[in-house]
Amino acid sequence: MIRHLRVLALLAGFGVPTAARAQTIENAALRRAQQAYDNLEYRQVLSLARAALRERLTGSERARAYELLGFTYGAMDSILKAVDAFKQVVLIDPERQLDPNRVSPKAYSAFDVALRQVLLVRQLRVDSTTFVGGQGAVPIRFAVTQPARVVTRAIGSGRSFLIDSGAWNGQVNLTWPARLANGDPVPAGNYTVVVEARLGQNAFSGSQPIRLSHGMVDTLPHLTSLPGYQYLPETEVPPQSWRPLGLAFLYTGGALIGTLGLESSSLGSSSKRELAVVGGAALATGLVMTLRKPAPRPAAANILYNRLLRDQIARRNQEIERENVARRQQVQLTVVALPKPTGGVPR
Amino acid sequence: MSRLVAGAVCLLLAGQAAPAQRLTLGPQFALASYREVASGLRYQGTGFGGAVTARYRKLSADATVLRLTLDPTKGSVATSGFTATEVNAWVAYDVATYASLEVGLIRRTADPEFAAQSVGAVRIGARSFYEIGPGATILFRADYLAAPKFSGGGHATFSLDLGLDLDVRLAGRLHGTAAYTFERINRKTNPGGMGELDAPIQETAARVGLAVAF
Repeated sequence: MIRHLRVLALLAGFGVPTAARAQTIENAALRRAQQAYDNLEYRQVLSLARAALRERLTGSERARAYELLGFTYGAMDSILKAVDAFKQVVLIDPERQLDPNRVSPKAYSAFDVALRQVLLVRQLRVDSTTFVGGQGAVPIRFAVTQPARVVTRAIGSGRSFLIDSGAWNGQVNLTWPARLANGDPVPAGNYTVVVEARLGQNAFSGSQPIRLSHGMVDTLPHLTSLPGYQYLPETEVPPQSWRPLGLAFLYTGGALIGTLGLESSSLGSSSKRELAVVGGAALATGLVMTLRKPAPRPAAANILYNRLLRDQIARRNQEIERENVARRQQVQLTVVALPKPTGGVPR
Repeated sequence: MSRLVAGAVCLLLAGQAAPAQRLTLGPQFALASYREVASGLRYQGTGFGGAVTARYRKLSADATVLRLTLDPTKGSVATSGFTATEVNAWVAYDVATYASLEVGLIRRTADPEFAAQSVGAVRIGARSFYEIGPGATILFRADYLAAPKFSGGGHATFSLDLGLDLDVRLAGRLHGTAAYTFERINRKTNPGGMGELDAPIQETAARVGLAVAF
C-alpha cells in the first residue's frame, strides 16, 4: 500500500525533493523531515520541519525547511499555509525557481501566489558584452514581483551612475550606455549594478557586480583584393596565323612592283640582287614569325577591368583608412559579469 | 674619309640628341648597283656604313651613311669606277597605327668628282610599317625627291625613292637589319642650249647589318 502511495505521489509530481538532496542536509531534524517527505509521511514532515526551524540552520537549510513545509501544505490542500511557507522561501532565496514540469500544480500555484505577495527583485542579470563607446549599451535584465518604484544604479569608482528610475512590474529590460554626461565612457573599474525596488514601506534590492574595462577598437586591415574578384591576365596570346608571311609578301611585293614600274627604259633592267637579298630576308622572317608561337599582346578589356578593380580597391582602402582614423579615437568597452553575492536584501 | 667620319659623328650625335624611347645604332654592309644616262653606263659594288634610328612616341628619325666602291660591270662603257658617299636621313611622324609621314634628305657625292653625278635632294613621302612578330618590324616607304641638285647641272621633275626595311631583334639588345632602296631620278640636262636631253639616274642598294638597341 505504501509503495502504491509513493508511486501516486511521484505521478502527482511531488518528487522534487530527492534523496541526494537529503544527503547534503547537515541538520538532523531537517534530514529526517526530508526523509519523511520522501516517505509521504506529511504529518511527520510538518513536525520535523518546524522543529528544525527552531534550531540554528544555514540560509539554504532554512529555505529548504520552509520549502518542505510549502510542498507538504500543498499536498495537504492547506494552500494559504503553503503560500506563507513559500513566502519565507523566496525571502530567503529570491532566485528560487520551481520547475512547473516537476512540481504539482497546487504547489506551483502556491509558490506563484507567494511570489506576488512579496516585493522582490529577482533574476538580475548583466550580460557580458563588448561594444564601442557610444555605439552600444550594457543589457540589464531583472524581474520585479510587484508593481514598484525601481531605481537602477551602477556604483563604482567612487561614483554612482543612475541607469534608470521608473515604475516597473514583471520582467524589466534596461540598457546602460556606460557614458558620462559629456559623452565620454565611464571610467574603467569594478561596478555594482544595484536595483532598488520600493513599494510603500517595503523595499528590496538586488545587485550584480561587473567589471568594466577599456580597450582600443580594432582597426580594419587594408584590402589587397576584393572577395570574388580576381585580376585578369593583361596579355593574351593571339591565335597563330599566316598574317606575318602575308605581310612580308605584301611589303616585298610592293617594293618589287615599285622597282619594276619605276625602272627607266633607257637604263635597262636594273639588278635585282639587292631586292633579292632584302626581300628574301623579309620573307624568311615572315615565315619564321608565322611558324613561331605568337607573342602575347595586351588584352585591352582585361587591362580596363584590372584598372577598375584597382580603383575600387584603392577607393575602399581610402574608406578603410578614414574609418580607421575614427576607430583609433574610439574606446571599446568590455563588460564582464562577476560572481554574484548570494540573495537579495529585504529592507 | 674625313667626311665619312664626320657624317658618322653627326649621326651619332643626332641619335644621342633625340630624346628617344628607343635608339639603335650599328654597322652595315651594302651592295649597290648604279646606272646613269644610258644602259651602258652601269656600276656595281659593295661598301660599308652605319645606321642609327631613334623613336620618341610618334616621332621617329633614321639616318644612314654609306661608303660604296662602285666598279663598272661587265659590258659597261665606263672605264673606271668611283667611290660614292651617301648620306640619307628621315624624320617621320606617325599619323596612324601603321603609317607615318616623313621628310628627309639625300646627299650622294662621287669621288672622283666627275666620275658620276653628285646628288642632293629633299625627301617627302610616307611609310607603312608593321610588326609581323615579336621584335620583327617590316617597313615600306615611298618618297618624292624634291628640288634635286646635281653636280653636273640639270633638273629633275620626277624623282622617286622606294624603300623596304626589316628590323629583327635577334637577342636582347642585338638587332639584325636589312634595307633595300630603289632610287629613280629623271634628270634632264641642256648642254650648250641644244635642247633638253634625258640623263636619268637609277640606283639600287641593299644594306644588311647589326644594330644595338639602347
